[in-house]
Amino acid sequence: MSKGVLVDMTKCFGCGACTVACKLWNEKKYDEVNKPTLGDAAQLVDINWTVVSKHDVTDGSGHEAWRFAKKQCLHCVDPACASSCLVGALRKTEQGPVIYHPDLCVGCRYCMVACPFNIPKYEWDKSFPKVSKCQMCYTRVAAGEQPACIAVCPNQVMTFGDRDELVKEAHKRIEGNKQLYVNHVFGETEVGGTAWLYLSDQPFDKLGFKTAVPQESLPAFTWQILSKLPAILVGWTAILSGLYFFNKRRNAIAEGKQDSTGGPQS
Amino acid sequence: MNNNDTNDLPVSRRFFLKGLGTVGMAGALATLSGCKDAGKPSGGEGWTPQQYNAPGSWPVQVRGRVPIDPNNPSIVRDDRKCILCGQCAEACEHVQSVEGYYELPIKDDITCVNCGQCALWCPTGAISERDDIDKVLQVISDTKLHVIVQTAPATRIAIGEEFGMPAGSIVEGKMVAALKQLGFDRVFDTNFSADLTIMEEGTELVGRIKAAGAAHAEGGHGHAPTALPQFTSCSPGWVKFCEYFYPDLLENMSTCKSPQQMLGSVAKSYYAKKKGIDPNQIVSVAIMPCTAKKFEAGRGEMNSAGAAAGNPELRDVDFVLTTRELARMIKGKGIDLAKLESQPYDSLMGEGTGAAVIFAATGGVMEAAIRSGYYLITGQNPPDALLNLTAVRGLQGVKEASLEVPGVGELRVAVASGLGNARQLLDQIRADKAAGLPPRYHFIEFMACPGGCISGGGQPKTSVPPSDWVRKARMKSIYAIDATIYKKRLSHENKEVLDLYADFLGKPNGEMAHKLLHTTYTDRSVHLRAKTKA
Repeated sequence: MSKGVLVDMTKCFGCGACTVACKLWNEKKYDEVNKPTLGDAAQLVDINWTVVSKHDVTDGSGHEAWRFAKKQCLHCVDPACASSCLVGALRKTEQGPVIYHPDLCVGCRYCMVACPFNIPKYEWDKSFPKVSKCQMCYTRVAAGEQPACIAVCPNQVMTFGDRDELVKEAHKRIEGNKQLYVNHVFGETEVGGTAWLYLSDQPFDKLGFKTAVPQESLPAFTWQILSKLPAILVGWTAILSGLYFFNKRRNAIAEGKQDSTGGPQS
Repeated sequence: MNNNDTNDLPVSRRFFLKGLGTVGMAGALATLSGCKDAGKPSGGEGWTPQQYNAPGSWPVQVRGRVPIDPNNPSIVRDDRKCILCGQCAEACEHVQSVEGYYELPIKDDITCVNCGQCALWCPTGAISERDDIDKVLQVISDTKLHVIVQTAPATRIAIGEEFGMPAGSIVEGKMVAALKQLGFDRVFDTNFSADLTIMEEGTELVGRIKAAGAAHAEGGHGHAPTALPQFTSCSPGWVKFCEYFYPDLLENMSTCKSPQQMLGSVAKSYYAKKKGIDPNQIVSVAIMPCTAKKFEAGRGEMNSAGAAAGNPELRDVDFVLTTRELARMIKGKGIDLAKLESQPYDSLMGEGTGAAVIFAATGGVMEAAIRSGYYLITGQNPPDALLNLTAVRGLQGVKEASLEVPGVGELRVAVASGLGNARQLLDQIRADKAAGLPPRYHFIEFMACPGGCISGGGQPKTSVPPSDWVRKARMKSIYAIDATIYKKRLSHENKEVLDLYADFLGKPNGEMAHKLLHTTYTDRSVHLRAKTKA
């Protein structure tokens, strides 16, 4: 069963415990000055696999309010990064995480172009850089544990479980409090679905989410053409080669010279 | 050798291409076979504390941490040191009843009363006071500025711990000597303004009791200054807590500023006038056991002296350093506090009584107020029994006492330290008010930190969580100073305070006193939705 995470952003008060758990578990460097993990300037970069960004919004009663959004790789059900990778360095696992194998990576950065959410980051500061992104604590998930960021959350903002169950749970919560939540589960259908699902009381674009993405799987989209490529290539090669030999033979006959080899005469 | 004879070349073209082909094939095979083993994915090399590493998704009981606004004036956190032990959240929720006592989603504020208890509980020092040492060193080095400093009652019995002395060591004179050596132009005592606070707050209390007596037949409460019980307003963490969670009871809050702010505004008015110094040239520094004092000094309305002098930008208190910061500053200059010869505070605002020094311990403000309140009501000094009011002493969270005061009858008082304990009294007051019952108490002392300022968020760290034996040792020293070391034990006998009234302020709660020594409060409940039942 593919795992997922349901994030209820109305419960987040911005302590940033999740970002620290990520750094501890993945041994990522800290740089709160240039690459903050928390606040207005928080951004996903090579050393920040997850951040909590602060957003100034207007709440339901028309007052100014703060909202925090936990950001990391959404672990698409059908990831474009993995489909674009030439060497299979990015792979979707059965349990849900989309993980990166640095030993295979050739550094082409196609995944960074392919990702609809701009998640994979490059280690620009290094001489031999790798791509860098959230691995959804795949070893923990494989061991039946929840990812590090989820375990440490004081408000239980995140729920870890089977993705299908979480989709149901998300809709149940929306039904249970229609006044609070916007009627949308971000990640349910975006780019064909993501393992991480979000609930919010604010329009998702106000919290820095990329909402203008296709609702169908991106690899499925390109698959329609790319899957036919081998047949087209082989077919065209056969047709063109046939035509070549046919013309050649016809020309030879027309010149009245018989050549059993079919090659040009010396 | 004939250069045109190609057969003599050591490597033939055919051999070279063959070799290249072989290497290429071998490389391709090696690469392809390597692809079967994708290698180890990145991540997962580190650790998290053991309690977070368990199968399933049951929540850990003590987890995460408190939210801290990066702009918080009192406390900061260094993520590199945070181990997510959850102790800060424990202190905030279960000791101070702040975190978890408001609804989510939040409004436009990270609710924090700036008390700094989380910094005391943090085992790795990830949470600490916002360090203002450099700013203070800079103003000291500026010879054009006149830098004065005041030290809170609780600092003199705690800072010795930072220099290897036993808990509760009384180092008042040594601390003054160290401050003078650091280059402060004048060293004043917050004890002076604590006595001043008692004069103002005591007078206010007597006024409220008299007003209530005059209007006893009427139900409910009159306008602000008459509401009973009167709450003390010395603890800025407590004040902010009340503003957040009990704004309906702000009418009970004494309008008196805290001793820190009183000394600040008097320094830039009375002291400046007496010494002929331009208030704009005075920089006022406060050494406090408290992180909330940094927030208090920055409150918009704390500019009385500046406003009176025509410069509203001028702060009454410019910088607040915690006891820990002062210790670091002294150590940074290579001064060994323990070896210093004691020196006295500077005159004009350097005298303090025993009633002032006990402000440092929970129940102390109450005891001091009773001593002078008795005098204000009866015109006579209190009997000896009232000089050792044991009912309001000690670490118990909520304490009560009642005493007979001639002319008033029974005076009922209560004391709470630790905001979780304060809640008990406040909820009771709310319920009584809703039921239309008369107030149970006349006067209540609230201190944000358990045990009072002696265990404030800016005090030297002890064991984690802060240990009661250290609190008791510090408390014992505070009462020893009151009982045996200081000559006077009554605020209304403080000569310098009396001079201040005679020369400058007029009478307690008078017009000038109101302008400089009293303040207003802000309803902060608009920044959160308090839980009705936590």
